[in-house]
Amino acid sequence: MAPLGAVVPLLALLVVWQMAAVRLDRPWIFPPATAVLEQLAHPLREHYASGSFFSNTVISLLRVLIGFALAAVAGITMGTLMGSVPFVRRAVEPITEILRPLCPIAWLPFAIAVFKLRTLPQLFGFTYTRTLWDQMQLGMIFVIFVGGFFPILTNTLDGVASVRRNYLLLARTLGASKRQVFVHMYLPAAMPMILTGLRQGLGLCWFVIIAAEMMIGSDSGIGYLLMYASDNSAMDLVIAAMFIIGAIGALLNFLMRGIMQRSVSWKGKEV
Amino acid sequence: MHNAGVASYVLELHNVGKTFRSDSGVTVAALRNVDLTVHGGEFVTLLGATGCGKTTLLNIAAGITEPDEGYLCRGENVKLGESIAYVFQHYTLFPWRTTLSNVTFGLQMRGVSRRTRKSKARELLAKVGLAGFEKARPYELSGGMRQRAAIAQALAIEPSLLLMDEPFGAVDDSTRAELQQMLVELWEGRDMTILFVTHNIDEAILLGSRVVVLAERPGRIVRQFDVDLPRPRDRNRTRFTELFLDIRHSLSGGLD
Repeated sequence: MAPLGAVVPLLALLVVWQMAAVRLDRPWIFPPATAVLEQLAHPLREHYASGSFFSNTVISLLRVLIGFALAAVAGITMGTLMGSVPFVRRAVEPITEILRPLCPIAWLPFAIAVFKLRTLPQLFGFTYTRTLWDQMQLGMIFVIFVGGFFPILTNTLDGVASVRRNYLLLARTLGASKRQVFVHMYLPAAMPMILTGLRQGLGLCWFVIIAAEMMIGSDSGIGYLLMYASDNSAMDLVIAAMFIIGAIGALLNFLMRGIMQRSVSWKGKEV
Repeated sequence: MHNAGVASYVLELHNVGKTFRSDSGVTVAALRNVDLTVHGGEFVTLLGATGCGKTTLLNIAAGITEPDEGYLCRGENVKLGESIAYVFQHYTLFPWRTTLSNVTFGLQMRGVSRRTRKSKARELLAKVGLAGFEKARPYELSGGMRQRAAIAQALAIEPSLLLMDEPFGAVDDSTRAELQQMLVELWEGRDMTILFVTHNIDEAILLGSRVVVLAERPGRIVRQFDVDLPRPRDRNRTRFTELFLDIRHSLSGGLD
């Protein structure tokens, strides 16, 4: 049963919105709720030459998942190394601290200059696959990678650096090699912080992809559809796209939180 | 077999010293001129007040800390990461692992098969009285149960030298008595040497085949007592009380 407390305010909002929009009668600025809901009810409808809500959302999600996966691997590896080997941290941290505050979108022109419009299949020797993989531009993926990398890196680094020295001694006396210390001590000990980093990173990746898709040069993705609809004064599509983006962002966060709660039940209960 | 032959030493410290320098430049002589020989199969208790360098001595024995004066020799096959186990007072178990997989940790690092290490761990958990708690996480165990699990974790690697740093310091009296008895029984059934740090005179006599008394600033050995009492030891025996008074006298030696 849906909680009544959440449904009533939502319905009230929709009613007020609808009444205001009908009274204003400027749908290209402020479309009625029914027009937006009608668009949301048809996720497979093709819009202009740019595809449907569904196909563009899948493209955006796939870009994010690829970029995020790369960021996770690189961020966790680097963070663990930097957190456990002081020399590596001293050498690398000045660089990451300069690059970290930079908005990931600022990397886009550079990424496009480097990768041109090359796509993921082209990297593996395919020319044109006629699938949505052709929409996986390396420049886009790079920018998402940058967006996810830094929160994952800094959280992993903090998590590993704050591991109690006792656990290191315990692992070493029980015979763990240097590699085993990484895998069986540092990684699990830092896992609560790593998961926090992954959650922040995934959220930021979703922010970044929408912004990147709205930039000039993009021709697909839910952010692109939003921008394209805006250029065509289809404000009902714009607001429907905003709903979808917000809902998916919330869903990703919800999923990550669920994983966190299940996998690190020991957090805060060290004895 | 507790033979104390000439070549059977597990640990020999010669004139060992260690000085720590704090960030503010204060130097603390943690240990000075420590000579100590530990033979195979002995149960040696290191007794002294807090801050007398007992833990430093244990860390030097383990090979975690290097002495900056003197030198030490370890017996054959006595090596950190192989045959030296260390039980701490706090943070003795990995909080993200179950009790069972804490005990299997050392065997896992040695590449022992999952099946073998699990059955061995179950056996050890039963021996320390934790049968049925295999799946519990450390935070679900009481302080005494955690130390039981930590002892099982240490014994799983079949150490020839077991180092213990006030392992029963944070448990209540009746639990401590149970743990002490259990530890002695586990030691008697094994070819294992124990170096046990405590600040409790009663515990030192009850457990040790030898009590090594340390004084502070700088940490140094003031006297050693062979405990010639039969086990299980009885606190009400006159000899126990005599030893207790002798040791207490030597502990406060610098004062009177």
